[in-house]
Amino acid sequence: MKKGLRWKIVLTAAILILAVVLSLPLGEKIHLGLDLKGGIHLVMQVVTDDAVNIETSQEVLRLQEQLKKKDFAFTSVTNPKIDEILIQGLNPDQEGKVKDLLDESFREWDASMGADRATLKMTAQVNQYLREQAVNQAVETIRNRVDQFGVAEPTIQRQGGIGGERIIVELPGVDNPDRVKNIIKTTALLEWSLVIAGPSPDEATLLAAYGGQVPEDGRVAKADPKRRSEGVFLVKKVPTVTGKDLRVVRRSVDEWNNPAVAFSLNPDGARRFETATGENINKLMAIILDGKVQSAPNIESRIQGDGIIQGNFTVDEAEDLVLILKSGALPATIKYLEERTIGPSLGADSIRAGLLASAVALALVVVFMIFYYRLAGLNAISALVLNVVLIVACLAYFKANLTLPGIAGIILTIGMAVDANVLIFERIKEELALGKSILASIAMGFKRAFSAIFDSNVTTIISAVFLFQFGTGPIKGYAVTLVVGLVANMFTAVFVSRLIFDLTVSGKSRTMSI
Amino acid sequence: MQLFKTPHINFMKYKYVALAFSAVVILAGILNLTVGQGFKLGVDFRGGTLLRVAFARPTSVGDVRQALGKIGLGDASIQEIGKGGREFQIRTQLPKAEGEADKELEAHEIMASRVIEALASEEDKLDIGRGLKDLNALDETSLSFLLEPAVPEDAAAYAREIAELRKNQGLILDFGEIEKLGLKAEAVAKLREKTYLGSLSPLSRETVGPQVGADLRKKATLATVWALVGMLVYIALRFKIAYGVSAILTLTHDVLFTLAVFSFTSRELNLPVVAAILTIVGFSINDTIVIFDRVRDNLKVMRRSPFEDILNASLNQMLSRSIITSGTVFLTVLALFLFGGQVINDFAFTMLVGVLEGSYSTIYLSCPVVLFWQRIFKTQKSPGKK
Repeated sequence: MKKGLRWKIVLTAAILILAVVLSLPLGEKIHLGLDLKGGIHLVMQVVTDDAVNIETSQEVLRLQEQLKKKDFAFTSVTNPKIDEILIQGLNPDQEGKVKDLLDESFREWDASMGADRATLKMTAQVNQYLREQAVNQAVETIRNRVDQFGVAEPTIQRQGGIGGERIIVELPGVDNPDRVKNIIKTTALLEWSLVIAGPSPDEATLLAAYGGQVPEDGRVAKADPKRRSEGVFLVKKVPTVTGKDLRVVRRSVDEWNNPAVAFSLNPDGARRFETATGENINKLMAIILDGKVQSAPNIESRIQGDGIIQGNFTVDEAEDLVLILKSGALPATIKYLEERTIGPSLGADSIRAGLLASAVALALVVVFMIFYYRLAGLNAISALVLNVVLIVACLAYFKANLTLPGIAGIILTIGMAVDANVLIFERIKEELALGKSILASIAMGFKRAFSAIFDSNVTTIISAVFLFQFGTGPIKGYAVTLVVGLVANMFTAVFVSRLIFDLTVSGKSRTMSI
Repeated sequence: MQLFKTPHINFMKYKYVALAFSAVVILAGILNLTVGQGFKLGVDFRGGTLLRVAFARPTSVGDVRQALGKIGLGDASIQEIGKGGREFQIRTQLPKAEGEADKELEAHEIMASRVIEALASEEDKLDIGRGLKDLNALDETSLSFLLEPAVPEDAAAYAREIAELRKNQGLILDFGEIEKLGLKAEAVAKLREKTYLGSLSPLSRETVGPQVGADLRKKATLATVWALVGMLVYIALRFKIAYGVSAILTLTHDVLFTLAVFSFTSRELNLPVVAAILTIVGFSINDTIVIFDRVRDNLKVMRRSPFEDILNASLNQMLSRSIITSGTVFLTVLALFLFGGQVINDFAFTMLVGVLEGSYSTIYLSCPVVLFWQRIFKTQKSPGKK
């Protein structure tokens, strides 16, 4: 045996063994994409405007307090835009002092003074930070909820990297999409607010006593049609306690044994709750979830920090509410942009179809190559099989998902990869026809076909790379298998195929089976 | 074994016929797309809902349309997929005026639920009325919950077995199938009491909102543009101008021709189809490159021959390679088309058309264009650097 051959054999064998080790057992190492496994793919947007808006509203309140404390004259503090605060009716004589206050206590805002007014604009930095935080928090909260719900191997990631406002959630094997979607999406902003008036059948009746205007310290909240409560309420704008004050929540039952959610407040919340209930006995306290009144029980006595939330809950609903309250509120509203639910039976069908198509494709190519190229065809087939093994190993190593288009990519590779061998074999035939010796023909065939093989793979790889860059889940899977298949092809069709010839064809042979 | 001894086909003789043929197909395609029906964009690009449903008993597109007509969706696109008239694909679209962009996705979801309701059989509706649950739609957790009073210990295992059965065979048609699983009699009795076997089940449900639709359109366009630019750069590096121009024209032809053929089918343009077209472009350019590679060699060997003869000789020498390669790819794509299932069928179809088109464009388009260029500009013949 020639000396150079030995390390080539060792290298090929090592790669083959490594590939097999990496990909076995197949069921564990190969991760199936959602289109094969079944499950839910969700793309959602975090409405980060909400986060900015909440911050601005809180700052408006703080600003009012501060102005009052320092006895500065003003008529109103409003936020005309989500990131802007406007103070009106200032005393022009106090302009300098107000400016000092703003510069000192409101550093996150760029203040500009007019004659009797001041405008505060949120700095770009803070604005950006709030939005960034909102998305991060949303990802964390969603991860929490999904984990608690018990989904195996969920994927939760931001789309578009830093600054992206979209979140992709993939939940393999989930068979009750509606419930999961609901759990993820619920903002879970829970508030206890004192009822000023109501319930009334509609808004006009409710506000009749106030001249049709919502009073400054109030807001209108509708009853949740899914719950037992009905009508429209006028409630205090500033809630007594919120979900942030919760210490413990658990599923429980009310006095009629219907599912309900029990809660305990933290010491600070409990104190506020006790004061508010003590001062408002025989009034209503609305429990509001995401702006909708769940129930509005009558305050019968001073209540310390424990209670239950009633509503027409089913067991599942009560359980889900506990889950989302435990995981905390989302910092901003979430909007679904895309939803794909693949049932498990369709996934199973696709796997069967993909395997059948692969087997048929491979069989057709094997039969054709052996029929046409005889023993040399067998050589090409060995290279091809090694190629497929390498694709599978790469998928396993990079933990890439195998998707249905990915299987299509493998099938295409089976068709395209033999091209390299065809180019080489045709060239060898020509050299043989010119009367060259077998060994010289083989050497020339490989040498002269190489540039064509290289060129032809490059163009396909170019398109696959851009497909990977811009494609979504399943298409990415296609691009990956195609690129891996073609790169592996350079190794199998050129290196391994040559090695097989070197091992099987000796200088003494008179004819060549090609 | 050899396909042809040494073929001497005068490919270049048919160059005008081929050019005319290509022009006709592409013009017809352009007319069809501009004046005619235009592209049928799939949900990926246009937004909307794509539902795949399986029925227990065979039915027809007409019946499905009639059922949808009752809820005002008679104009939805309905296609039969799979065998035996049991599986259908339904695409619905909200009229633009209805629902602002924000709410659109939810509106789609509601509509999809209405579609499923509308397709339920009369018996299903009676069973729902009696408060029964659909065993073909019930998730595993709820199923286990339902079985718990009858078989407290086995409930979870039974629920998994039933879910597994559904996964492997699709709809359960008969409670007998469940008895065969070997469950305890109490469990089966409980199921008979509390559930019914729904006459249809959704296989998949994909809803794409308008923003994502626009986004995916943009991404597909970017992928196409960049892939084409990448190939142009590669071609520019690799060839002299005549060959480069020819390769670019061939590439444009590949895209237009495939789209033209596609526009005459009832298939919808979606992401996998775009992926197929880009793959075709790559594949066809390969073919062209291999031929030009040969032309470069032959220019040295056949110095005295007229250029047209050199092109012809190169095409003939590479003919068996071209046929074998296109042949193997065609065979594999055919396998995918016939057996790969409905989900990937549009992709396979586009590839099938493209493989044939790619071989044709290399022979009848790329070489004649080089020839015309040479005649007009009388430039150097060699394809260039190497």
